[in-house]
Amino acid sequence: MAQDELIVVKDLNKSFGKLHVLKDVNTSIRKGEVVAVIGPSGSGKSTFLRCLNLLEVPTSGHVFFEGVDICDKKTNIDLHRQKIGMVFQQFNLFNNMTVLKNITAAPVKIRKMDPKAAEEKALQLLDRVGLADKADSYPAQLSGGQKQRVAIVRALAMEPDVMLFDEPTSALDPEMVGEVLQVMKDLAAEGMTMVVVTHEMSFAREVSSRVVFMADGQIREDRPARELFADPHDDRLKDFLSKVLNL
Amino acid sequence: MEFLEKMVTLFTKYNSFFSAGVANTIILALFTVLLGTVLGTLLAIMKLGKFAPTRWLANVYIEFIRGTPLMIQVMFLFYGLPMVGITFPSLPFISNSDRFMAGICAMSINSGAYVAEIIRSGIQAVDKGQTEAARSLGFKSGQTMRMVVLPQAIKNILPALGNEFVTVIKESSIVSVIGIADLMYQTNSVISTTYRSLAALAVAAIIYFIMTFVTSRLIAFAERKMANGTR
Repeated sequence: MAQDELIVVKDLNKSFGKLHVLKDVNTSIRKGEVVAVIGPSGSGKSTFLRCLNLLEVPTSGHVFFEGVDICDKKTNIDLHRQKIGMVFQQFNLFNNMTVLKNITAAPVKIRKMDPKAAEEKALQLLDRVGLADKADSYPAQLSGGQKQRVAIVRALAMEPDVMLFDEPTSALDPEMVGEVLQVMKDLAAEGMTMVVVTHEMSFAREVSSRVVFMADGQIREDRPARELFADPHDDRLKDFLSKVLNL
Repeated sequence: MEFLEKMVTLFTKYNSFFSAGVANTIILALFTVLLGTVLGTLLAIMKLGKFAPTRWLANVYIEFIRGTPLMIQVMFLFYGLPMVGITFPSLPFISNSDRFMAGICAMSINSGAYVAEIIRSGIQAVDKGQTEAARSLGFKSGQTMRMVVLPQAIKNILPALGNEFVTVIKESSIVSVIGIADLMYQTNSVISTTYRSLAALAVAAIIYFIMTFVTSRLIAFAERKMANGTR
């Protein structure tokens, strides 16, 4: 295992009942990489991402995070999840808490951070995404784009080593996609390691360093973004790109 | 009009009967709601838990209790249990305490099954994404329940629980069959002395309605308070 490999996925399989969703997936994520995962719907992209922090428990195979096999029953997954930020398609902000509480809850309760310091840091992060004035609002009072930016800040507040994005712009109105992508671009520019399941081909092409193309539960192509878009090898990928790029 | 006058005279004359009945009905309902909620919470935890045998047990209990009549449950506890040597004790100073205890137990056992389903569905109605977000941040499952799921579930649970309280007040009329002097029992006493059955029943109905209406208004008030707090 190379030194700078943050996540290593080995022979990962996942079945839901008779449905075999992931078939022998092998890959690794290096520090500082921005990996876009693309593919037709139902190809297993989201399931693959959710296996990386064990929201989905693999049927067989291993996921190593910072050298530790998190699929091992003896591993305390809660400890590792603190270092793996996750952003969901449906935002999933805690509806019963204000924006500020959403962000500070985990640092205060889990990291035992001083509440005052946690609030200060939360406000700083909110300011960076342009939402400092929404600190006392409830999620129900925010637009989709605002919710997703808060969700990103909530994950960042735990100072994760990697951020997982599960179709972060798919539930947004078109005019709000840009503001969320901008936050993600900034994050990438700062060197955050990111794994992004996305349908935003422009993001995959311009921001990611590597693109993983999945179809039928398998990784069909896994190459640097520029190469993959300029010269796709796999037939399924060619077909997929011709469909999504000609829209 | 004439009927209304009959009701008023009946009520003024036998006022003590009705008020004694109301007192007993309220005592019965209060204890039932309290014990039923405790039992229901316990059953809901069992049913939502990971341990299969307790989950199975809770399921059987809930299905069986909800699928059999309350009247049979009440009679079974009061007449049936003594036959196998289990009796409810007669406490000093409280007349008919054995009947009361049997009644409260039967009603609580019954209500607990319904409350369990109310709590379970209230918890399960909270979006799964809320739990996933909390777990992905590193919260343990207990913390997730306490900080994220339960505060949201309460809002689903409270209205249905209010309905259950109202149901308990009404259904408590059944315990008159084992001789608890509740409102229904007292109404029957009034009928047997006056033979004015319709007027007496109408008075009882109005009293039951006042009790249930006040309860449901109180619950609605509590709901509004809660909504103000978190929304």
